Amino acid sequence: MKTAHEIRPGNVIMLDGSPWVVQKTETTRSGRNAAIVKMKLKNLLQESSTETTFKGEDKMEDIILDRLDCTYSYFADPMYVFMDAEYNQYDVEADNLGDAAAYIVDGMEEQCQVTFYEGKAISVELPTTVVREVTYTEPSARGDTSGKVMKPATIAGGATLSVADFVKTGDLIEIDTRTHEFKKRA
Amino acid sequence: MQSQTHANHWDIFCAVVDNYGDIGVTWRLAKQLAKEYGLAITLWVDDLASFAHILPKLDPKCASQNFEGVCIKRWDAPLSQEYLPGEVLIEAFACELPPEVLGKIAALHQAGDKVPVWLNLEYLSAEDWVEGCHGLPSLQRSGLKKQFYFPGFTNKTGGLICEADLLERRQMWQENKERQAYFEALGLSGIDEHDTVISLFSYETESLNALCRHWHEGERQVHLLVPIGRSLNSLGAFIDQQQALTPGSRFHHGKLTIHLLPMTDQQGYDRLLWSCDFNIVRGEDSFLRAQWAAKPFIWHIYPQEEDYHLIKLEAFMALYCHNLAPEIADAWKKLNIGFNQGEQKTLFSLWQQVDNAHLALTQHAQDWPNEALNDADLATRLVQFVKNS
Repeated sequence: MKTAHEIRPGNVIMLDGSPWVVQKTETTRSGRNAAIVKMKLKNLLQESSTETTFKGEDKMEDIILDRLDCTYSYFADPMYVFMDAEYNQYDVEADNLGDAAAYIVDGMEEQCQVTFYEGKAISVELPTTVVREVTYTEPSARGDTSGKVMKPATIAGGATLSVADFVKTGDLIEIDTRTHEFKKRA
Repeated sequence: MQSQTHANHWDIFCAVVDNYGDIGVTWRLAKQLAKEYGLAITLWVDDLASFAHILPKLDPKCASQNFEGVCIKRWDAPLSQEYLPGEVLIEAFACELPPEVLGKIAALHQAGDKVPVWLNLEYLSAEDWVEGCHGLPSLQRSGLKKQFYFPGFTNKTGGLICEADLLERRQMWQENKERQAYFEALGLSGIDEHDTVISLFSYETESLNALCRHWHEGERQVHLLVPIGRSLNSLGAFIDQQQALTPGSRFHHGKLTIHLLPMTDQQGYDRLLWSCDFNIVRGEDSFLRAQWAAKPFIWHIYPQEEDYHLIKLEAFMALYCHNLAPEIADAWKKLNIGFNQGEQKTLFSLWQQVDNAHLALTQHAQDWPNEALNDADLATRLVQFVKNS
């Protein structure tokens, strides 16, 4: 069992008697530090998708399916192609990557985990942390009196996220792929 | 199985965490649903002693009692009173429902019978993400359907608690200038009609020292009205430690007089907010009531890890100030941020700037409730939400 807070895109969870692949997670803070986790799920039996919300501490059954360590090879629209250590290739639908797609870049060397359901590659789980280049962010907005000054930034791969005010275009930054949060400058 | 349920009945479960916030919100909602919609409401509360502070007639030792059309039941573990599934089941602020309750609705579900509309009523936030989460289902392993219900300031959220006649009653109170009589009824003496009166219901903060020093040395007479509670922990320099801290106690320091108030019920607190020139409030319930009071205020928001509360504060301030003159909005925002960060050095000048804009801020505060409510309050939207579920 995992808590909703621990579930990551690429995990498969059992709800209401069906296996669901997690395509996207978005964690936000509620009152008194409680977390709320919004997920986009795809039902593996019915091929239908839904958006759903959990308390961060809600427990759910994380189904252990076959997984392989793979690296990203190339994109053949609409499939992302991954390769294992023995050079076997696996196609994963772009839709099934969910938010993870925004961190996929050509030449990336991070090991990903491809998950299989009934022999078919159904999802990809990224490493907890990835390092990506900031392709654009506004110059520092010093003078803001707020205690935690953040600003939007676009990174290689296309994701946008909030970064610390001191981050500049061209910087390499560490990102937590579970929360899509900026961790630090790499 | 149908014989073990009762229609037109809502159950609200509330776990008291911070004395008056959770219970304050759920009690207001329960009363409004009972009074304005004729619903049979049972409010299950795990801490009746805390509840009794805002409902003084409540007997904390009594397991079941009725006030203002609401049945209040003690929520103990294991649950000693029977839960009969009704039309709606609300877990307030993400509290965990008793296993007896979950067991009953799971049994109904398995038998193919109608189960209550099950809602998690969440905390109030002005952040953008709330619109995207409001009303979403929360899939359960058991197959039961639960939905998240988010209060909020836009028409894509669940709305804000505001009784149907509240704004009219507040306006009449303020137009009839009832504050002097009210202050006298509270036993507050020495308050002149033109004095500045400020209510204080905050958490502990060094900012209070800074403001008190400023008021103490100021030109105008300031009266600070403080209920016995956490705010007093930060007023040590202005409170005579030898004197018993009892309602009615007064402490004079230059132009500042601190009056200690008894805890009051919710109607009394509303009147207090309506009667003051400025209100310092905290949490969720008093924060919202300060908005309905149509007076300038500081929101001392519940502190969260990694200063996340400042993000919530910024989100609210952006909404609140979007059509306020930029220089006034800027001063008011900085005062709120400074207060929440325990600022001391610049608080003097920030207060002065906000005080200079008091008329404009008051006008804005009078316009704000209609804007914040959009087309309907929380209870109205909640009833409609249940109908559509």
